[in-house]
Amino acid sequence: MRIVNLAHGNLYALGAYVAGWILGLFAGPGHEPKMWLFFLLLSGAVAVAVAGAILEPTLLRPLYRRAEEYQLLVTFGLLLILEDLMHLVWGPYPLTSSALPDLLGSSTILGATYPNYNILVIVIGFVAAVGLWAFVYRTKFGVILRATSQNMRVASALGVNVKRVYVQAFTLGCFMAGLGGAVIMPISGAVLGMGVEALILAFVVVVVGGLGSLEGALVGSIIVGAVRTLGITYFAEIELAVLYLIAVVVLLARPAGLFGRA
Amino acid sequence: MLELDHINTFRGPAHILRGVSLTVGDAEAVCLVGRNGAGKTTTIDSIMGLLPVRSGKVAFKGRDITRLPAHERARLGIGYSPEDSGIFPDLTVAENFQISQLMGASRARGASASGAETDERILAVFPEVKEFTGRRGLNLSGGQKKIVAIARAMMLSPAILLLDEPFEGLAPVVVNRFIDAVKKIKGMGISLLIAESNLNTATRVADRLYAIDRGEIIFQGDPKSALGNGEVMKTIRG
Repeated sequence: MRIVNLAHGNLYALGAYVAGWILGLFAGPGHEPKMWLFFLLLSGAVAVAVAGAILEPTLLRPLYRRAEEYQLLVTFGLLLILEDLMHLVWGPYPLTSSALPDLLGSSTILGATYPNYNILVIVIGFVAAVGLWAFVYRTKFGVILRATSQNMRVASALGVNVKRVYVQAFTLGCFMAGLGGAVIMPISGAVLGMGVEALILAFVVVVVGGLGSLEGALVGSIIVGAVRTLGITYFAEIELAVLYLIAVVVLLARPAGLFGRA
Repeated sequence: MLELDHINTFRGPAHILRGVSLTVGDAEAVCLVGRNGAGKTTTIDSIMGLLPVRSGKVAFKGRDITRLPAHERARLGIGYSPEDSGIFPDLTVAENFQISQLMGASRARGASASGAETDERILAVFPEVKEFTGRRGLNLSGGQKKIVAIARAMMLSPAILLLDEPFEGLAPVVVNRFIDAVKKIKGMGISLLIAESNLNTATRVADRLYAIDRGEIIFQGDPKSALGNGEVMKTIRG
């Protein structure tokens, strides 16, 4: 939708915090862990979606007619505000909950012990990617969404309530960010600064994949994920440098990213 | 059907339309003729709700729509084909049509034609559309884009079509073909308001004609009297 939202990183963190907090209420000490607790992860996604439905019309909508710098400034401000809000509400210490990984146990794959929860995260990621793709490319709403992002004026002249589409798209994006934060929380906890870290990685992903392209985001994130993992194992000191080097090479060779259009 | 009453429209600080009044009757084809920059597109945009009207009134079927957002106007039955065709480049032609079909269907209008009927009506006007429904907007020629833009607007089952420069950039043979199409559309009982810079083309399709210059209507009447009016001819041809 041509919204560059720098606050997305901390919306992701917010999803982690909300999920961590809710799980803490139901899966803390003295509670017996149950399988239904997995559904509580959705609380993070829903909470962030609600935040998105409020933020888009109030903070972002007034800026669409202005230069993109305004959007960057406002969403960066929002990133900082969210960081402090989470600090204020949940304090400086990380929120963790190991109840869910404990429930699932672990498997041995090729001689290595691997937590089953991590496999679940991969499955959720895959399902979310396919689901999002199907939603955007195979539903009526997806057609309206793509049309609106390509030409908002004409879409409105054909009867599309553009404002509503923007709220829905932004809310969906926030839902995905919140879901991402929520499912990662049992692994790495909800920590201050996780949003900025994710934002920087996401930035490399979109530079490599191309802004506004779903396939690009998928391919970009797989590249970034693989390079990071390999990097941590084999060349930990320069892992981030290698990532940026890839971004630089892509920018020089294909300025719009692998799947983007200039 | 459509009535503009002394509308004034600005683009940024520039005062473009100065008290423009015009009417389009039922099943009437009206042309708005003027040079580039005369205010034709601004007039169309003001009717469609893409530009806010500073003062004056826009009425459609007797209802004041001056403050209505564009999408509500479209759903009331105002179809629009922009000057640059405005085809969604990454959508197929079929998907381009789907947008207005969905919107047309969401409109509760007693007299509205059903989807199948609309399709037939479009094929009656532009049979060639069938051949490129699977193609993406980006891969269409200029003429095909114009066809898709008009057909897409018709998918809304509109009562009136606003066509902004529908013949611009087309080869003379194709222009003839489009003029026939416009006549067929009119024959279906759909009113038309066509912005056109070529007076000769305009006189071939219009029942009535308005000439606009520097944001003011300087002439209205039937095509013949426009051709006979030296001042209009001079202004429009420059």
